[in-house]
Amino acid sequence: MLASRAFSLVGRRSISTSLCLRAHGHAGIVKAEDYTHPAYVDRRDVPLPEVAFVKDLSAQQKALKEKEKASWSALSVDEKVELYRMKFNETYAEMNKGTNQWKTILGGVLFFLGVTGVILIWQKHFMYGPVPHTFSEEWVSAQTKRMLDMRVNPMEGISSKWDFDKNEWKK
Amino acid sequence: ARGIQHTAVRQAHRKHEPDFHDKYGAMVLLGGAAMFTTVWGYVLTQLNIEWGFSPVGRITPREWKE
Repeated sequence: MLASRAFSLVGRRSISTSLCLRAHGHAGIVKAEDYTHPAYVDRRDVPLPEVAFVKDLSAQQKALKEKEKASWSALSVDEKVELYRMKFNETYAEMNKGTNQWKTILGGVLFFLGVTGVILIWQKHFMYGPVPHTFSEEWVSAQTKRMLDMRVNPMEGISSKWDFDKNEWKK
Repeated sequence: ARGIQHTAVRQAHRKHEPDFHDKYGAMVLLGGAAMFTTVWGYVLTQLNIEWGFSPVGRITPREWKE
């Protein structure tokens, strides 16, 4: 229990590196990279990260850490907050806070879909020829009557959608 | 929160700087939506593109035999 308390105060990193130095006992040791050390992380499922957030304490913070070894009721609220902020980066509330990112994302998506529409406008203006006369209202209506007279696709197609008794489209 | 003795922390938030989304998110959303509706409103109605909709329910058949 006391040993783990010593670990949390000093930081596992400094003890392990000093042990390494003693074990090798010669110069020219490769310095252990930062990413190989236990890291701090703000995650909902890791309530107690492996190291404290603030590694290098100022003189003021070191004094506060000494005060922390005594009775905690002697600490003021501000000192408790300072100790918390030394150990942790964000509170759970700060970690879980939502953002406004969805607005930017959705706005960007809609904008680029609009660009697609602009492409269609360009195509109609510069690329497509005139709409063929066979798409005019008078032609299509005559064409439709002829298709129905011929009973085109009577099972599931157009003739199945027309009511031949009432002379209207089926509801 | 992380324990009863830390309840004080909840009242003492650090002020977080507004990021890009806080500052411009609403503007981007409204601008994008406006651009989208105008462009596609125009494309779907004014541009005279033949979309090829089905005559079913739309076209009244007309006599074709001369």
